[in-house]
Amino acid sequence: MSDAVRAKAPVLSVEGLSIALPEGGDRPFAVENVSFEVKPNEVVCLVGESGSGKSMIAHAVLSLLPKSVDIAAGAVIVAGQDPAKLDRQALRRLRGGEAAMIFQEPLSSLNPLKRVGRQIEEMILTHQKPMPSAIEVHERVQQLLTQVGLPNPKLLEKSYPFELSGGQRQRVMIAMAMANRPALLIADEPTTALDVTTQRQILRLIDDLRRDRGMGVLLITHDFGVVADVADRVVVLRHGKVVEQGTVEEVLRSPKADYTRELIDAVPKARLDEIRRTAVHPTPLLEVIGLEKTFRVKRGLLQPPREVVAADGVSLTLYEGETLAVVGESGSGKSTLGRMIMRLTEPDGGAIRFNGQDLRQLRGEALRQARKQLQIVFQDPFASLDPRQKVGDAIARGPMAFGTSRTEAMEQARKLLVRVGLNAVAADRYPHEFSGGQRQRICIARALALKPRVLIADEAVSALDVSVQAQVLALLAELRQEMKLAMIFITHDLRIAAEIADRVIVLQKGRIVEEGATADVFTAPQAAYTRDLLDAIPGRDFFDQPGFASVTGALPTARMSS
Amino acid sequence: MDAARAFLRHPSGMVGLVVLLVVVVIALIAPIVFPVSPWEMVSAPFTPPGEDGLLLGGDTLGRDVAAGVAYGARVSLVIGIASAMAAMVIGVTIGAISGYFGGKVDLVLMRVTELFQTIPAFVLAILLVATFNPSLLTIILTIGAVSWPPLARLTRAEFLRLRNREFVEAALCQGEGTLQIVLGHILPNAISPILVVTSLTVATAILLESALSFMGLGDPNLMSWGFMIGAGRTVIRNAWWMSVFPGLAILITVLAINLFGEGLSDVLNPRVSRRRS
Repeated sequence: MSDAVRAKAPVLSVEGLSIALPEGGDRPFAVENVSFEVKPNEVVCLVGESGSGKSMIAHAVLSLLPKSVDIAAGAVIVAGQDPAKLDRQALRRLRGGEAAMIFQEPLSSLNPLKRVGRQIEEMILTHQKPMPSAIEVHERVQQLLTQVGLPNPKLLEKSYPFELSGGQRQRVMIAMAMANRPALLIADEPTTALDVTTQRQILRLIDDLRRDRGMGVLLITHDFGVVADVADRVVVLRHGKVVEQGTVEEVLRSPKADYTRELIDAVPKARLDEIRRTAVHPTPLLEVIGLEKTFRVKRGLLQPPREVVAADGVSLTLYEGETLAVVGESGSGKSTLGRMIMRLTEPDGGAIRFNGQDLRQLRGEALRQARKQLQIVFQDPFASLDPRQKVGDAIARGPMAFGTSRTEAMEQARKLLVRVGLNAVAADRYPHEFSGGQRQRICIARALALKPRVLIADEAVSALDVSVQAQVLALLAELRQEMKLAMIFITHDLRIAAEIADRVIVLQKGRIVEEGATADVFTAPQAAYTRDLLDAIPGRDFFDQPGFASVTGALPTARMSS
Repeated sequence: MDAARAFLRHPSGMVGLVVLLVVVVIALIAPIVFPVSPWEMVSAPFTPPGEDGLLLGGDTLGRDVAAGVAYGARVSLVIGIASAMAAMVIGVTIGAISGYFGGKVDLVLMRVTELFQTIPAFVLAILLVATFNPSLLTIILTIGAVSWPPLARLTRAEFLRLRNREFVEAALCQGEGTLQIVLGHILPNAISPILVVTSLTVATAILLESALSFMGLGDPNLMSWGFMIGAGRTVIRNAWWMSVFPGLAILITVLAINLFGEGLSDVLNPRVSRRRS
């Protein structure tokens, strides 16, 4: 084989792959008749919602499938070999040698008890034959750490994973994957657990390394923004079948399949021209004045406690019927702010004025009465419903605690379930029978059962698939109109903030760095931090191009999810 | 009811349950099969098993060992279950208060718990029974009083785990009262491991009761396995059956309860049962 031919030969080809699920699953095949190729120096994105089988394919490539599932038909060819047919030795040479993988959660992918330099060394020592000398290995580790853009490699190689930030850990994972110059890199949602700014850096790094070494990259993601930023070609999966594949331009500009179009439409986009500034009631409903909160984490006996500032003089005003988005990266104190308003976390100082009372002075019954008007929807729809309580009871409990009779409360609960797009019979079922999106609808119904005036949505759509996300956002927008709700929408995703909010507050390390009307913040950001955040939005260049917004039209109407 | 169905498929758990049911049946029909009181002298002393119509022989005073074992099952089961219940009530209450409220309350209650844990349970039990007159009620309360610390610790740990879960906070935001939250949301989600440990406490309670009776600190009006072993131990070299049969009864019952408890734990623990399916 000449070099020219080799350069064109795909590093990964998946041919008619079908993976059978064990009997009794919700479908016979996790993946059915999937074919695609990854050529050298090419990034192929595998896109799909949860349950589409995209991770299964990635695991099949390195023969990492769980014991209960089997490849029923077709084959995976990695650098000329079929991993399913290799013996243990050859498989070990392939994994981490020809093909390397990085995962979503870098903390659980690194050994917590070993220094990271040691872990990278191990990767080299396992694969290089003959065994290189200790000095060579050490040099190689330094080189790799420098290549993945980690500052001060000398110090860093002696660190333990817990001492690094999420982005640094993912860089270490990438360094490990790069250790043996693989021809194929598989990245399974590598940035999903990271902040937007970090996400952009990691994606850039992967892209740079790909260009330098001409390796093929199989990137698995659920985010079309990421696809638009890095992919050469796209494979869209749904229920284990390929819906559409082609170049990024083809798929994103002129999707052929309806499903692809739906997914692209569901990407939250700033439609700044459409944002009408709702005429808000001039009286402030909720006023937060100079809120302070510092978390102190005790360390060793002699070390001073580590201090994390979650709120440093945070003040905000929420008017009736207004939606205020609080955006910031992890650790910015945005969730703590919501929890402090609900009095779930006690602030160190400041005041929260609601309806003329200071919430912080309230105790017992008075607090209970005030909380009735402030409700919260949490991020994780799986943790926020009592697994042993029927859905109807969960919704009716609130009004019943305030003296509504059981029959009346249940009647109201059924109506609310219908209102949020579920069936009234859902009231007699348990939470585990519902999908994530449906559960979040239940949580919204539960929060609304008490007819609150302020709804705090703490990352309420972050755990959901994009299409479901769009539906829940649309539902919230409708309910806000209908019930004249004031909403505090806490999110790390600026796209969502732009889609739903009238005003935006940008938090950084417990401080408000910018505050203003959504359109102003997004078009003319004042603070450098806000500009960084905006630049880091994945797919921004693509989705913000003129003419694109008009294709997508208005908010999709709320409908039953999955 | 998935748990019940899963339990039916759990082999060792089912063995435990069946054996336990046999013991319960023996306890229930004891007065029908042995209409004569187990304290009655029905034959010559030292009658070996099978002679004189006595299946398991007679003891030093000619009392029927088989009748003793059957009646002893009643005592053992009643004391085992009742004192495990007592331990559960004390342990869950203390653990729940400690775990839910935390802070100083937790500190005080946990130090008390540690106090009970550091004193050897059996020594404390002897002390308590010797102080109060041994009767069925005082023995149950005594065993309950020395067996609750593990349950309190477990309940506290479960409450700590669940207290800050979002569904509990949601209930708080919905205006539900403390008692409602604890009994309606936290306890139902913590109950599985508590039930498992309680079932194993039944086994240790039976052993404790036997040990107390062996020491002569049992209820003098009740024929119990421990008392029989205690009475027969001096003559074990020439009349083994007097201590071996009640001993076997204890062994089998305790083993059955342990198997049942472990089966229960496997079925109620979602991680294990998922691996099985």
